[in-house]
Amino acid sequence: MKRRNFLKACLIGGTTVALGKTNKGWASGSFEGYPEAMGVLVDTTRCVGCRSCEAACNKEQSLPEPDTSFDDKSVFEEPRRPTAKAYTVVNEYEKKSPGGPVYRKMQCNHCNEPACLTSCFVNAYTKTKEGAVIYNSKVCVGCRNCMIACPFNVPGYDYDSVTNPVIKKCILCYDTRLKVGKPPACVEICPQEALTFGHRADLIKLAHERIRANPDRYYDHVYGEKEVGGTSWLYLSRTEFDKIGFDTTLNNEPIISNVKDFLGMVPMVLSIWPALFSGIHLLSKHDTQQEHGHDTESTQEDR
Amino acid sequence: MKKMIQHGLAVVDSPYTESGEKRSVMNKLLLGLTPSQYLLQAFRNPFNWILAAIFAVGLPILIGRFFFGLSWATSGSCDYPWGLFLGFGLFAMVPLSSSGFQLGTACEIFGRHDLEPIERLALLNGLLGYFFAVVYLLVDLGQPWRLPYPMVVSFGPAAVLFLVAWHVATYLSVQVLEVSTSFFEWIGFPAGKQAVRRITLGLTVSGIILSTLHQGALGALFTYAPGKVHPLWYSSSFQWLHFFVSSLPGGLCMVITVSTIAAKTMTWRRDGRFQQSLDRITISLAKGACMGLATYITIKLIAIAHDNKWSYIDSGWGQWFLLEIILGFMLPLVLMTYGVHTRKMPVVRMGAFMTVFGVVLNRVNTAIITFNWKLPEREIPPWREVVISLTIFAIYIVVYRFILYRLPILYKWKMQEEVVPATEAVRAPAPGRRETNQVPVASYSGMTKLD
Amino acid sequence: MPSTKLLILGALAIGAISVTSPATATAVPDSITLNQNGKLYQPFSFDHAQHILLIKECSDCHHHTTGTLVLDPNCARCHQNSSPTAVVSCKGCHSSTPFSPETLAEKRAHKERFHQDKMGLKGAMHENCIGCHKKMGTGPAGCQDCHPRNAKGDAFYSADRKGAKPAHAKEH
Ligand code: SF4
Ligand code: SF4
Ligand code: SF4
Repeated sequence: MKRRNFLKACLIGGTTVALGKTNKGWASGSFEGYPEAMGVLVDTTRCVGCRSCEAACNKEQSLPEPDTSFDDKSVFEEPRRPTAKAYTVVNEYEKKSPGGPVYRKMQCNHCNEPACLTSCFVNAYTKTKEGAVIYNSKVCVGCRNCMIACPFNVPGYDYDSVTNPVIKKCILCYDTRLKVGKPPACVEICPQEALTFGHRADLIKLAHERIRANPDRYYDHVYGEKEVGGTSWLYLSRTEFDKIGFDTTLNNEPIISNVKDFLGMVPMVLSIWPALFSGIHLLSKHDTQQEHGHDTESTQEDR
Repeated sequence: MKKMIQHGLAVVDSPYTESGEKRSVMNKLLLGLTPSQYLLQAFRNPFNWILAAIFAVGLPILIGRFFFGLSWATSGSCDYPWGLFLGFGLFAMVPLSSSGFQLGTACEIFGRHDLEPIERLALLNGLLGYFFAVVYLLVDLGQPWRLPYPMVVSFGPAAVLFLVAWHVATYLSVQVLEVSTSFFEWIGFPAGKQAVRRITLGLTVSGIILSTLHQGALGALFTYAPGKVHPLWYSSSFQWLHFFVSSLPGGLCMVITVSTIAAKTMTWRRDGRFQQSLDRITISLAKGACMGLATYITIKLIAIAHDNKWSYIDSGWGQWFLLEIILGFMLPLVLMTYGVHTRKMPVVRMGAFMTVFGVVLNRVNTAIITFNWKLPEREIPPWREVVISLTIFAIYIVVYRFILYRLPILYKWKMQEEVVPATEAVRAPAPGRRETNQVPVASYSGMTKLD
Repeated sequence: MPSTKLLILGALAIGAISVTSPATATAVPDSITLNQNGKLYQPFSFDHAQHILLIKECSDCHHHTTGTLVLDPNCARCHQNSSPTAVVSCKGCHSSTPFSPETLAEKRAHKERFHQDKMGLKGAMHENCIGCHKKMGTGPAGCQDCHPRNAKGDAFYSADRKGAKPAHAKEH
């Protein structure tokens, strides 16, 4: 093999390395969230399951009319999840509990280090300094990896649209309200003030204060304070959280830290492989030249 | 086709016809037949009827997907965002296509020239597998026309999928180049072939890099969903390794499978070199696959032990898992080892089929069947989704066959520069065969009517 | 802080009057029109007099601002000896815009304040009314039991949509 060919080969390997370089910047796992991030504390002990928040969200976000009206309580028969047509849903749990049923509103939790954001290969998601995780439908390709990644099963996809299907999820009313400091529509309408809007850092203190002041009323945990690196939406509950539909198996580490093992290996492969295999090639060429050198292809190459 | 050759048709394997005229591209495309003969042989093949039936139903539905949207064609479920198109099409096709880089590496890097007769088949298998994985992806994407976005419009460099996109795209071009040598030979453009040959080493090395990374990356995609994939199919530290390692025997066994099918159904197309070396090469491939399988089974068990997941085995999921690993990985390992030692080719091939099945099942399990195992309901793909997946697979087979029929993959193209010395030696049997059959080429069109 | 003291004194005086003369309509209203600025629900009249008769204890609803001193040990830590205050109406303390930028900024500026977690007006009233009605097993607890919806409210809740089956989680 000619020296020139070898150089060329290295060059191609090199471009691949350069290409891989851009892949190295991933968010650090220790990100604590923006200091000024806002959030919402959901006190499920206050919620009465009136579904006003669902109605408010529907109107604020100009979502399609629901299948059935927002005061229809029959929706509680089966648990629901947020979809492209409903960014937030209220589910009923503990139906037979002596303390009465527990209602829980669910929507995007606006994670400090969102899995949806880190899994998106066109960077369609942004975590704003106000704490909202918003989405740019103009670049979304529709791979739906974010739906796979979201630990809370939040993003919905409007599969019905043919020409412009996009991801749809709660954006903390960023465009219409949060940006100008106003509370989200669901918070504003909630008759029970089950939803408390404020700075995330303040809300955490406030939540612990509620637990301290009313130890009988609350289970001693603030869901979302630490889960998957912390979320902007926080929850208080009367019972253990897994009883009211929360995934209590989630780690406190953000989802991206799971992926780091792999991402960390990438630059290694990119830099070591070319040298390694080109080297092996040169060695084996040398050894086998005599035996297999008659093959048309390789003689041509070595000519 | 077989009959026609029996009756004296000379297969297209050099730029010149029997009489020494240069073949036109049309002539090569029609395999040296006249258009009517070509159609006739196509009609005679019962397999084509099956394909036609699939296309008759499938193509309208495939087109319908682009007019009526994803919710019409697929389950459109938010809990199972990746259905058959990706779960089967992308995740299963890609590991079965790792053959390209493995044989490329063996031949070009490790100097295993004894494997060369099958190198081109392996490269083609890789190219087509990837290409159709991308086709499946295009059908599945909400906005397929934006596929180039991660390359040009907006970058999400922290995402594993970003790596996959870049690497699959680059690797696809690498593979096109690798396979292009056959095409250049066939079309008669030696300069192109020379140019590609010159960068073969570079291509092969980048092939290894890209393959290692994105085979692994497909596994790493699931590390975004640690709680959703069933623990028996998931391992946060080893997921990429599992996918990468199982893709190795997957790709090799796919080549064994395809070469077996091709050797059975395209006897006329393979040349002596391929035919004689096939068993020997199959044994070599099977040996490689066995090593891969053994490694895979070991690291899989290590991962289970590492996270102490034994208790999961004792459940419905666990039995399903045992079925997959025993039928799809352990039994093939036993079969192939036995077959290799005793030179029982059918046993080896059986083992290879089962490995292909095992790898596909593993991917489908990870992406669909055991995904979201904590949710009460499982998603059963609606019929349109199944039909579309089948249709694309049928197109894959048709394209595969189309290329194998024509390009010098299973046989060696008689190069212009070799034509003079080679005419005597190689072409001698051809006239001989014709003489024994006593049917001259001229009367051949009459013959087809008789059949 | 002379002005504050004065205020408190004044408040005490007024409070004394209002507590000691329950018959004075201006100080203790017999009925109050609630939800006056409601957008989705109609205003309605709250029978204050009836609640006084039924409950008797003002502080059950009015905390430490009027009536018997609070017994809740948590409140008693500070309000054990608090005198009745001048302002006893709900909206006097509970803001109708608890989450407006101004309110939030004000809260942040007074981090030392104990009642950081004071509910807004709407929340406080609903929590108080519905909470008690449920506990006592009597009294209206549903939205329209107190305040019927107006036309705008019907539209807001998509009242005309009567799906045969509930909008399930699995939307196809
Ligand atoms: S809850 Fe899901 S969709 Fe919302 S920010 Fe977190 S990962 Fe993203
Ligand atoms: S914050 Fe806004 S978008 Fe999110 S659930 Fe509430 S109303 Fe809907
Ligand atoms: S509006 Fe408030 S009380 Fe009503 S369901 Fe929503 S969170 Fe619960």
